[in-house]
Amino acid sequence: MKGSTLPVEKNIHETVIDFFKKGLDKKCFEAVILPKRVPSGDSFAYLLIKNESILEGTSALPPVIPVQGAKAISNLTRLGNAKEKILAIMHPCEIRATIELFKLKQAYLDNLIFLSFDCPGVLPLADYLENPEKNDQIYQQAFQKWEGKNMRPVCQICTEFSASASDLHIGLLGTDKGKFFLIPVSPEGEAILDSLDLKRDDSLDSWETEVKKLKKEKEDKRKEAHRVQKTEVKGPDKLSETFSKCINCHNCMRVCPVCYCRQCYFDSDAFKLPSENFIKRAEKRGSLRLPADTMLFHLGRMSHMILSCVSCGTCEDACPMSIPVAQIFSMVADDAQQLFDYKPGLNREEPLPNVVYQEEELQEVEKAYSETYSKAEEKNV
Amino acid sequence: MSKDFTPKIIYFMCGWCGTGGAESASAYHLYYPENVLPFRVNCTGSLSPVHILRSLIEGADGVLISGCHPGDCHYEDGNFRARRRVGTIKSILGSLGLGEERVWFRYVAHGEGKRFVDTATEFNDHLKKIGPNPLKERSDT
Repeated sequence: MKGSTLPVEKNIHETVIDFFKKGLDKKCFEAVILPKRVPSGDSFAYLLIKNESILEGTSALPPVIPVQGAKAISNLTRLGNAKEKILAIMHPCEIRATIELFKLKQAYLDNLIFLSFDCPGVLPLADYLENPEKNDQIYQQAFQKWEGKNMRPVCQICTEFSASASDLHIGLLGTDKGKFFLIPVSPEGEAILDSLDLKRDDSLDSWETEVKKLKKEKEDKRKEAHRVQKTEVKGPDKLSETFSKCINCHNCMRVCPVCYCRQCYFDSDAFKLPSENFIKRAEKRGSLRLPADTMLFHLGRMSHMILSCVSCGTCEDACPMSIPVAQIFSMVADDAQQLFDYKPGLNREEPLPNVVYQEEELQEVEKAYSETYSKAEEKNV
Repeated sequence: MSKDFTPKIIYFMCGWCGTGGAESASAYHLYYPENVLPFRVNCTGSLSPVHILRSLIEGADGVLISGCHPGDCHYEDGNFRARRRVGTIKSILGSLGLGEERVWFRYVAHGEGKRFVDTATEFNDHLKKIGPNPLKERSDT
């Protein structure tokens, strides 16, 4: 694999912005989407930028994900493809979620070019809000050490932190401080580098080895974390205990990029029931927690979106009660996705598991039948 | 486990084959446990995983799902889709330790009265062995 090497003059961010400016000048793309610090100074928001001068003061590598980028892209293209070429820089998980939304027909990707970067993870939103300046420094250090300290728990065990579904990728691993790699992942990415006269014949071996090494480390970490997670939440008692803090705000559902339904089933009339229903349920169990159906909401939401879950961790950031939603979902998602050998967001051509089927598959789901069952029972009697 | 535990079973069956199996069973005068509650759906492919979850949380000890045999679906591929969904929900229940063995999926054709009765009986005995569903007793679900 070959790519371009860009020299870093002041910092990575400035060089990336320069690259955007050149691209806008040469009409490689007509607009860019990237995060900018909000006026209050403690958060970031995605901006669709047409005017080059606004690129000053943006942040190509933001330390938090307040709004999942897939939501921004879906907002932009829900009614059809963008008519102009737009370059969007996002964390790898945001790009993967966008691709899932594309498969769910909630976003259209023609004319969109995605730029990803080697992501060290992001900080928990609540931590960042407490002290933005200090956390900015912590985040800068994360690019040097790549050990994931202080990052969100799901980021620490993220295995798709590098180039996966994007068109262009900024390789930060395996480089010295003076430069970074610009790696074309798709033909569109190559075309952009060509039109900017960036030669793409630099060797990426050092990047590839570093990515492979870190990926291996993180895969082991992920397995171990999921194993521990299982001991903490497995079983009705432990699971109820975990979700018992839930205040039914449904924030996790609202911020989730792949929970796209305009009317959530759990907000629908199916759950608006006459009081007799609740009284009857309370009578059966002795009591009933109100508002009811908390567990059903979480498990039901899980059953709806788990095959597309990219473990981006936005749900956990949004939870006011600090329930480890994302960690539980990522654990369940890995198991469920493995059943169909499906990795969400990596390939635009790969169909969603619930859309296709094979005639010969999942024999383990069917319960095998033996003719002799009833006869055997009779004998026992 | 006390021997007189009677499990509550929700039997989702498709309107073409599963219910046909029940009909055949009655024509042959075959008996299935009375604690099985038949629930007709048009096609097992139309069954949302939430129906299965809601049954398990709101009082069922087990859920049975029966549709047409592969290739027999009235809507061509509903049973294959159902199999994928049931696979997903079983995987979720398994990962969270909520009892994936409480959900069974087995094809029953229109004429297979005996297979229908056997399935219901076998599942009933299976549930008697593993005991009541702990989720239905909880008030904080």
